[in-house]
Amino acid sequence: MAWFGAALLFLLLSLTLALGGAVGPSDWSRGVGLAGVHLFTLGWLCLAMLGALIQFVPVLAARPPVLPVLALPALLAGIGGTVALATGFLWLDGHEAVRGAFLVAPVLLAVAFGLAAAMIVPLLLVRASHKLAEVQLALVALAALWASGAAMTYNLSGIDLMPAFLPDGLGLHVLLGVAGWLSLAAFGVSYTLFAMFLLAPEGGAALRLAVRLAAGLTLGLILLAGMLLLVQGVVPAVLLWCLTALLPAVVALYLAEVARIWRLRRRADPEGNMRWSRVALAFLGLAALLAGPALWLGGRWAEAAIFVALVGWLSLLTLAQMVKIVSFLTWIQVFAPLIGRAPVPLVHHLTDPRATTRWLSLWGGGGAVGGLALLLVQPLVFRLSVAALLLAALGLGAELVAIRRLSHLDPQKRPATLPPVIFPAPDKRSAHDHARTA
Amino acid sequence: MITPAPLDLDVRPQLARGEEPFAAIMSAVDALAAGQALRLVAPFRPAPLFNVMANRGFACSDRQLPDGAWEVTFTPLDAAPPAVGLAPGSAPGAMLWPDPSQSLDLLGLMPPEPMVRILEALLDMPPGAVLFALLDREPMFLFPELAHRGHEWAGNYAPDGTTYRLMIRCGD
Repeated sequence: MAWFGAALLFLLLSLTLALGGAVGPSDWSRGVGLAGVHLFTLGWLCLAMLGALIQFVPVLAARPPVLPVLALPALLAGIGGTVALATGFLWLDGHEAVRGAFLVAPVLLAVAFGLAAAMIVPLLLVRASHKLAEVQLALVALAALWASGAAMTYNLSGIDLMPAFLPDGLGLHVLLGVAGWLSLAAFGVSYTLFAMFLLAPEGGAALRLAVRLAAGLTLGLILLAGMLLLVQGVVPAVLLWCLTALLPAVVALYLAEVARIWRLRRRADPEGNMRWSRVALAFLGLAALLAGPALWLGGRWAEAAIFVALVGWLSLLTLAQMVKIVSFLTWIQVFAPLIGRAPVPLVHHLTDPRATTRWLSLWGGGGAVGGLALLLVQPLVFRLSVAALLLAALGLGAELVAIRRLSHLDPQKRPATLPPVIFPAPDKRSAHDHARTA
Repeated sequence: MITPAPLDLDVRPQLARGEEPFAAIMSAVDALAAGQALRLVAPFRPAPLFNVMANRGFACSDRQLPDGAWEVTFTPLDAAPPAVGLAPGSAPGAMLWPDPSQSLDLLGLMPPEPMVRILEALLDMPPGAVLFALLDREPMFLFPELAHRGHEWAGNYAPDGTTYRLMIRCGD
């Protein structure tokens, strides 16, 4: 919950900056713009994804969490690193005082990622290696993403670690972040989450293997392109052609696998989180279609493709599942101890599906309009879409707080004490407390 | 290839003293040489053990001895039994639990409904009774709650991986 809470605050902050004019069509490279972009990608999406992995990889691997004591330091380093990086970017706009923050950000982020990896990687190695293979690839991409980001940070500060990397490395940095780390991690987690929420069997070995191989190949080529850029200073066209073909192919294979899970579901009417995940998947398909023009033409095509992937695909998926996950975990936390001892409500009684639908549609609409505005270079329309996104994020944030406070529940059904909204409550029940009322 | 002679283990004295023989059986299994069988003598037919040993890659054959005790021979199916036995966290003595007095088919139910059904069913059961439940997946959120309530559990996926089989012994 603390990861999700921090991520949501960064989301609101980044959208506020964007609404204030930090970014716009073909206007992303000012310091304040880069700060806004990184508050969104690193603060919101990356922290939410790390929090989700730390929470769910033990569940998916059916193993107890490894070194849970590292979670808080990892989160604090992640928050610190994000704030330092965002503040540090202002140095590009001439704020000399914040150069130190710029230099310390990669160090803090290395600590955050390293601690998170220490919690996640041992679980990936024991059993779930075949189930969560995409998450392993995603963590490789995260390491490369950090390295390329750190190289650019020090490069901008005048410390030339990898001279060729700027500005040519920017495209690879973006690819590693959007397609490599965030999308692959989302792929890996979504199979199991979708199967769980749709009551569908997992499996589908052939398609899943195809996704894994194609994704591994794509990531390998991106890394190869990065190395060639360092050594020769240029990425050969043949590599770009391969990526142009592979990126949509990976997405098509993944969508086919999700469609297979969807067809085999035993739950006739999927809940809101899954309906909105379908919209997110449509945005993923759109981003894949834009990938080719983005790689070759850059400019507004690249802006639109990246925006659609970050806002429409990754953020909508995260927001839709976050509502479901927060309500489920809150239910477990509050009502699992009461089962059989007191009447317990249903999980969906903790939520307000109408409010959730309202805010998620606003988010989806904002994403679609924003992408279009970038493609057509319409700054005013883009600004309006950001306003819609901010409003939707505020609404969803309020809805999540309401779920944590059990506000949608009939007051008589609410227990006397509620868990803290964000931080985990210390578990007061000892393992020897076997009190039963029966 | 010479097949080594079976390892003999008589758990009757241990059971007579009221001790759980599970640890002794498992260390005997671990101590088996490649291809070696385990010959177990028990005062009753240890049916729950058959499943556990099958999961570890042993075939079993049993016969009743003239004095009423049972002799079971577990023969390894191949030199490398699969590592999949019971899920981590399972109670080690599960093979000696009584037969389930109640079964729940919880396939196709949306979480946390299976958890609610199981915990409610356990409230009506006497201590020591065993509940069997068939689930779509491993109920990771149920396990801590079972521990808090003093119940023991043992479970694993069916060999085809589509269902999860869970036994719960009601706590005292």
